[in-house]
Amino acid sequence: MQTTILIVSLILMAVVGVAYARAVYATDGPPAGPGANKARSALLWGMIVFGVILSVGTLREGVYDVAGPAPMVVNVSGGQWWWEVDTYEIPLGQEVEFRVTTEDVSHGMGIYTPGMTLVAQVQAMPGYTNKLVHTFDAPGTYQILCMEFCGIAHHDMVNEFNVLEAAE
Amino acid sequence: MTDATYEIESIASENPHAGWIKLTMGLGGVVFLLMMIFGLIMRAGQGGIIDLDPVIFYQLLTAHGAGMVGSAALSGAAILWYFVARHVTLSIKIYIIFLGLFLAGVVFILGSIFIGGYGGAWTFLFPLPAISGGAWEAGAAVAFCVGYLLIGVGFLLYYLEMAYNISKSFGGLFGGLGWKFIVNGDSKTAPPPTIIAASSVIVFNSIGIVFGAIVLGASIINLLIPSFAVNALLAKNAIYFFGHVFINATIYMAVTAVYELIPEYTGKPWKTTRLFAIAWAAVVVFVQIVYFHHLLQDVNMPAWALATGQIISYASGVPLIAVTVFSTALYIKGSGMKWDLATKLLVLGVGGWGIGVIPAMIDGMVSVNKLMHNTQWVPGHFHTYLLLGEVAMAFGFAAWLGRDKSSQDQSGLDRFAFQAYLAGGFGFVLMFFWSGASSIPRRWAVHYDEWQLQSQIATVFAAVVILATTLFVLRYVEIHFDERNTPMVHLETDEIVGIEVLSSGEKQLFIILGEALLQEERPVVFISDEPELSLHVSWQAALFEHIRSLNGSCQIISATHSPDIVGSFQDRVIKIEQCIRDVH
Repeated sequence: MQTTILIVSLILMAVVGVAYARAVYATDGPPAGPGANKARSALLWGMIVFGVILSVGTLREGVYDVAGPAPMVVNVSGGQWWWEVDTYEIPLGQEVEFRVTTEDVSHGMGIYTPGMTLVAQVQAMPGYTNKLVHTFDAPGTYQILCMEFCGIAHHDMVNEFNVLEAAE
Repeated sequence: MTDATYEIESIASENPHAGWIKLTMGLGGVVFLLMMIFGLIMRAGQGGIIDLDPVIFYQLLTAHGAGMVGSAALSGAAILWYFVARHVTLSIKIYIIFLGLFLAGVVFILGSIFIGGYGGAWTFLFPLPAISGGAWEAGAAVAFCVGYLLIGVGFLLYYLEMAYNISKSFGGLFGGLGWKFIVNGDSKTAPPPTIIAASSVIVFNSIGIVFGAIVLGASIINLLIPSFAVNALLAKNAIYFFGHVFINATIYMAVTAVYELIPEYTGKPWKTTRLFAIAWAAVVVFVQIVYFHHLLQDVNMPAWALATGQIISYASGVPLIAVTVFSTALYIKGSGMKWDLATKLLVLGVGGWGIGVIPAMIDGMVSVNKLMHNTQWVPGHFHTYLLLGEVAMAFGFAAWLGRDKSSQDQSGLDRFAFQAYLAGGFGFVLMFFWSGASSIPRRWAVHYDEWQLQSQIATVFAAVVILATTLFVLRYVEIHFDERNTPMVHLETDEIVGIEVLSSGEKQLFIILGEALLQEERPVVFISDEPELSLHVSWQAALFEHIRSLNGSCQIISATHSPDIVGSFQDRVIKIEQCIRDVH
């Protein structure tokens, strides 16, 4: 997913960058013709229409992850500079609802795959319990990394848990 | 004498506030450079190239964040003030107070970090300043917050002075915003682009600073009286509202340099159209409600706020790309504009801003944010529109301030510096995007081995950017501070020469008339002995008239052997020979 995001971003940046650079480098060429204002309007309305479709398409199902009827609840609490998880073994394919709290400052719970790819995250904020719903689709040892700067040992605030294939 | 016209290119000539603005831009440039070096040290530490103590890393992180936001704000403010002063009268005293408060704030912030050990990041996310885990005392965090407050107060004064004078000249702030023009469409009521930008920034940044001041005040009370608790989610909303608006305002202030300077090169005015005014009106609204995208991982926020964060992140890019970037390209294409360091950097600034907003729009999507929030993707996009946007515009403006003296030697060094900045800058931000896509979290002092390659390459690019920036700063300092107030002479051939090449009579004239000008109409007595020496006969006859025209309140007493010098004032001559005869 991250690779797709990177490629799409770089392509769009390149398109805008190249179009802009070509126009501004052509200082000695012919000035923009009468069609330029039309092109601007088309771009403007095109971006607006695309934005509406994108927003409706991506937000239609809401902004929160909502757990199904029988999630496994995992309580996670954080503090300077540790994570405590009440279950270190999670079955593969099981929907999990993490309930994340903090004992001191804000932290961020980022879940990393065994290959160190971020698959989900949520903030941990004093006074609140933040829920994160995720279903693991590969077994292995997952890492919890702190995603919100929380002081001098922020980078040491790491823990791990295992995602296990169901025993046959 | 006839082939030269004189212009005292002192700090007073072009713009009444030029001297202070030049000083500000010099300070801003030096701080930019220093903060870039902090950035390089952090990237080198992350890359394992140097062994950097995490305590120092997080102090540098804090200083780099606050310092970069600060110098972007300072340079943006200097640019905006300079150009608004072209359209309305502003009191330089207010600017000096602003600058003084700003520098006082900087002293508090630097002291809190490097003496007090504060390392809670520029975003001072509540309650981190109060709960440091032993790294710093409450006093250090208080000093940091006080530093911010001083800068905020300075900015509010600055905006108040600007708002008052714009309102006076453009029919209230709605007139200045161009909203009246949007409604009535009468181009006679259209304010200049700079005034629309200034009015817009005044509105949203004043509101942003007030919210910042409230949460800073609450944080200070919490630090002093820990039982005074603040709701963490409310505090985060206020901090990100303030932080988002404040950093965005820096670009919106700096872009006035594009509106004002590019037309000086093309000869075509940058016109206020209805589309332009509407785009700015959209900015005023969007920039204030888009900050929810910083809280997409705070699932206790209401759903409408998170959806607003996504939708407005996208919407904010529309006026920028379809109006600002597109119109700049349209305007420059075929304009015959001459490329120098100033125009290159200003045009880059608009492009970098427009390109940088794309990954930010994408990161504003809830589904993407789940994977990119607080990874290095985030510094990726804000470094693009700051390093290649705001900072490029600021150095472009600075290069323009020094344009006259460098125009003869549009040097290879300038070209090299620009290319290095461009290549180094793009390479540097690309490493952040790659790092973000590799799930590397931001603000980590220590990087795992598999994350280090990106940081190592970024370190090299950072060094290239620093080299280019050093050249910009040295060039600027050399022009404005080594030869401070050196008068330059513009010949009719468009050549600019130093005063040392003038003849002795020309020098004499320069000194006499310069002195008369600097008297600023004060009633003084001007006493001279044989002022006609070395002067052409025609100048001898015109000398006193010119002195009187520069200072009508002066009295001139001269001893001379040349009766011609008094010109039309023959009736005021006292002949000493006659006096001596009368005494006898």
